[in-house]
Amino acid sequence: MADDLLQRSAIRLGERATDRDDAIRRCGATLVEIGSVDPAYVDAMLLRERSISTYVGEGVAIPHATLEGKSSVHRDALAVLRFPDGVDWGGETVAVCVAIAAKGDGHVAILSELAQILLEPDRARELREATDPDDVLRLLAPVGQSPLGEDAA
Amino acid sequence: MPSRTVTVGSASGLHARPAALFVAAAGAQSVAVTIRTADKAPVPARSMLSVLSLGARFGTEVVLEAEGEGADDALDALADLLARDLDAPDTADAPATVEGHGG
Repeated sequence: MADDLLQRSAIRLGERATDRDDAIRRCGATLVEIGSVDPAYVDAMLLRERSISTYVGEGVAIPHATLEGKSSVHRDALAVLRFPDGVDWGGETVAVCVAIAAKGDGHVAILSELAQILLEPDRARELREATDPDDVLRLLAPVGQSPLGEDAA
Repeated sequence: MPSRTVTVGSASGLHARPAALFVAAAGAQSVAVTIRTADKAPVPARSMLSVLSLGARFGTEVVLEAEGEGADDALDALADLLARDLDAPDTADAPATVEGHGG
């Protein structure tokens, strides 16, 4: 469905990055490519990451911009980039980035769903090791379909 | 068990940045603290994923609990942190130095 937050075209499972900034730029470029954000959003993502790491655990980081970056968001969306070789993330190793572009406070609902998935070791490992976009869509279905900006409980 | 009930003060909820600051502060305490919302089971306050899984928004009431020596001090420090707007830029530089100034 076109309204889904996570579209197949925003799932890239064979990425490489030289470092954390490079990985974030790739995440940002994906969001730009799918028409979700302006390029300015990518700079805001980099700034946000320097402020406090978006690493959440289980080899997953969730790059996104600060509140100041919201004006660069055209459409709420997610991008999933997998780095099979891993990316050093301030001492942690990141295998998967779930990049977030959201205008409202939809972050909270998305992160809650994502966290609940990652708290299950089997599902977290499946996400880290995914090679098929269909698997990612299935694993993240509760996240990809959450209505952003809606005042969900 | 000593506990504190707090309303989340961060404008955008207990999401990435406020959650990261809170988890870091919880990890620095001498006792293990749990956090829960009204309808969910308590989870470790020093686990980022667990805290994120609560999905607490601005205005959500959460309960902090801890036991043992230093529990009250830890709860006071973390309750103070949660009640503040951790999205405000000026709080980002001093996450670990929450003081009980009762303002």
